[in-house]
Amino acid sequence: MKKRREKGNVFVIPAIIWIFVFTIFPLVYSFRVSISRVSYGKITGLAGLSNYIRMFGDYRFWGTLRFTLIFVLISVVATTFLGLGLALVFNRKMRGLKFFRSLLTMPLFTAPVALGYLGVMMFYEENGPVNVLLKYLGMGKVPWLSHPWWATLAICMVDVWQWTPFAFIILLAGLQSISDEIYEAAIIDTSSGWAVFRYITLPLVSPVLGTVLMLRLVDAFKVFDVPFSLTSGGPGTATRTLTFYIYTQGLRNFDLGYASAMAYFLLAITMVIGMLFFRRYRELYE
Amino acid sequence: MSKKRHGIVEILLWIVVVIVVLWVISPFYWAVITSFKKPSDVFRLSSIPWIQFQPTLNNWQTEFNQRGPEITRGLLNSVTIAVGASVLAVFLGSLAGYGLARHRYTKWRNQSMSFWFLSQRFLPPAATVIPFFLLMKSLKLLDTQIALILVNTTFVMPFAVLIMRDMFKELPVELEEAAWVDGCSRWQSFVRIALPLAAPALVATVIICFAFAWNEFLFALVLTYKKASPMTVVIAGTEHTQGVQFWYVSTRLLLAIIPPTILALTVQKYIVRGLTMGAVKG
Repeated sequence: MKKRREKGNVFVIPAIIWIFVFTIFPLVYSFRVSISRVSYGKITGLAGLSNYIRMFGDYRFWGTLRFTLIFVLISVVATTFLGLGLALVFNRKMRGLKFFRSLLTMPLFTAPVALGYLGVMMFYEENGPVNVLLKYLGMGKVPWLSHPWWATLAICMVDVWQWTPFAFIILLAGLQSISDEIYEAAIIDTSSGWAVFRYITLPLVSPVLGTVLMLRLVDAFKVFDVPFSLTSGGPGTATRTLTFYIYTQGLRNFDLGYASAMAYFLLAITMVIGMLFFRRYRELYE
Repeated sequence: MSKKRHGIVEILLWIVVVIVVLWVISPFYWAVITSFKKPSDVFRLSSIPWIQFQPTLNNWQTEFNQRGPEITRGLLNSVTIAVGASVLAVFLGSLAGYGLARHRYTKWRNQSMSFWFLSQRFLPPAATVIPFFLLMKSLKLLDTQIALILVNTTFVMPFAVLIMRDMFKELPVELEEAAWVDGCSRWQSFVRIALPLAAPALVATVIICFAFAWNEFLFALVLTYKKASPMTVVIAGTEHTQGVQFWYVSTRLLLAIIPPTILALTVQKYIVRGLTMGAVKG
């Protein structure tokens, strides 16, 4: 029996070592950098918590945090609701559903940075396809990339385009796993579609909905590629996300200590979301 | 009456289908036609080839003549990095997945270990990009494919662990038990029985990991300058020098977009598991 156990360890140990070397060690090192004075990539002394304190007085940090939160809110809510709506509509037996679903997986696997550049073409202000379409609908020229609010919306739209299928595909799988018998039983008791949705569908699909919401939240907080390519954080610094600011401070201005401190702040946010997730959806991974 | 109502529902449904399909297709379509437009046609709105504008192969030809080496290098780097990372990740991942599915660990419980792997999914890349940069710099691995293979393996391995764990759990254990009785070691039953049975899932996992590694951008931007830059960085680099030369940008975009999107179409069966790391079975 003891021999068996040793052999079992052989299977998991390589992966565990890998994560220790390439995740845990960099995180520890990063913490060390965040509490140090760094010049030219070398640690020269201790800075204590000054990098963390500096964060709270840095208006640019608050600006990026504000934009990140706005983006997270719009994009997570929009993708989840649209995805849920579509999943409810297509939760039926119909021809071509498989094909339709496959088509919708395509946005998920396009490189976000490429989508950003594609967005530059789509949202081009002079005769770009989006503005021309809006002109047909009777709207004026929209300054998509030169006005802060429109640029925010443009970034959100790219994200919604890419991630609504994510919510749709997963929620559809969740809905399809609810057995028909439950619905048949429910229809005997009530004729109200809303009641069926509220008291049958929603509770049964809620773990899946929670999973979608959490994964979307975490991914939205990490966003970098689309603002980088679509707006370069502009106009000005209006659409810089936290990751974008960390990148600029750390790897363009080489203020490594400060950037590491902000990275820890971002890590704390995603870890809190992760913990909420684990607490609620533990049983899904049994 | 009910039949009539059913017909209306059917029509509304197909209207939704058409809208969604157009919504999904149109950006891809736009990139494709822009790559076949003459520069003078790009800024006049025209969307139907041969009728509204005369398509030309010029952009593709110019791209490959003038920037051929850069693009080929970008594509080769992308392929090398994505293949290296996905194969390595699935190798480590299927080992760990098998261990978690078939073995009871007493010191660290199986569930805690699974959660630990899952927690990697919540880690923002920005948190490790700076230490990685310093690490690769001191190892003299900046601007090498190896650096990006290591990084991407780290990112996609938790996926591989959890998906493979699920797949091995679903295989009937009886086959392997019979093999153990016959004197096979755990290792032999893994290689000879479990792995071949899980082969389709294994391939699907490699493909999903390949796509994620192919699309990675932040680390590629930070850790490479030129020699080892994958396609995601190649398209980012050209935009600044060429401004709004959409006709060229679109060719490169398509080269970056096509491989993972097409590959993803082959793994539909595993996509829901892949995207939720096994939380939702599709």
